[in-house]
Amino acid sequence: MHEMGVAMEICRIAEQHVGSAGARFLTGIGLVVGDDAGVERSSLEFCLETLLAQPPFAGAAVHISPEAGDTLRVDYLEVDDARPSH
Amino acid sequence: MPVRVIDVRERVMAQNDLIAAEVRQRLDDAGVPSLNLMSSPGAGKTLLLERTLADLAPSLRIATVVGDVQTQNDADRLSRHTSRLVHAVVTGGACHLDARQISAALDAVDLADTDLVFIENVGNLVCPASWDLGQTSDVVLFAVTEGEDKPLKYPKMFKRSRYALITKVDLLPYLDFDVERAIGYLRDVNPNIEVLLTSARTGQGLDEWYDILRGHVRHASHVAAESA
Repeated sequence: MHEMGVAMEICRIAEQHVGSAGARFLTGIGLVVGDDAGVERSSLEFCLETLLAQPPFAGAAVHISPEAGDTLRVDYLEVDDARPSH
Repeated sequence: MPVRVIDVRERVMAQNDLIAAEVRQRLDDAGVPSLNLMSSPGAGKTLLLERTLADLAPSLRIATVVGDVQTQNDADRLSRHTSRLVHAVVTGGACHLDARQISAALDAVDLADTDLVFIENVGNLVCPASWDLGQTSDVVLFAVTEGEDKPLKYPKMFKRSRYALITKVDLLPYLDFDVERAIGYLRDVNPNIEVLLTSARTGQGLDEWYDILRGHVRHASHVAAESA
């Protein structure tokens, strides 16, 4: 139920790292979600797809790696420095 | 290479947990314990606090932060029993309180003039379990009108709680609720959890609850005095 709050925090982290890395476009987010993290995977994906379709994002793919335990982590970001602006 | 991967490895809750740590430090420095009350909606958090404030507010200086999705009805109910601040946090749809809200609420509390802080979380047995607020201890309530197997269905909430209050025990004669089975399930999930049987209507179990609160107040002020 709190997946939207979690998704917003993931987007905040992504925006911060994209900015500090001097990257232009976010194309993918890699997440690690533990089975005891209290997060429902499909709900989180839905929230992220909604948020990532809006500026400053332009539609990034979400890659979720499951894990045992309560881990909830942004693992990596995929960026494309050559993608033209639109 | 125009396409590249940025290594992040950042916990999603890192920002919340940072603020929670600051809240915990503020409360520890002031020698003020804080208890985070969590339960499903209707388990009796507000009534327990009403009764607690009515009985203890004369001798303990208690500040209260109350979270609700909508309305500040619970804060209004509690305000009738204390002259001290009852801070309402209307989450506007969010199903839990977070550390930032507690930090902002505490800005309005004079901790030097406070013995104890209650946080009444949003009624929900799932989401609040994922958010650290900087509290000293978690208290989970579940009522005898719920199923005995609540701890098995929502283990994360019961695992992190130090106390479990089985509430509304005055209704036991009218229900098939099996107290021993409920306690067994609690211990299956969390062998160390301290269990109290309470009724805020009749007062059953409240002396034990108040002893726990007074113990927290004594301990926190002692620790703060030692480190001062």
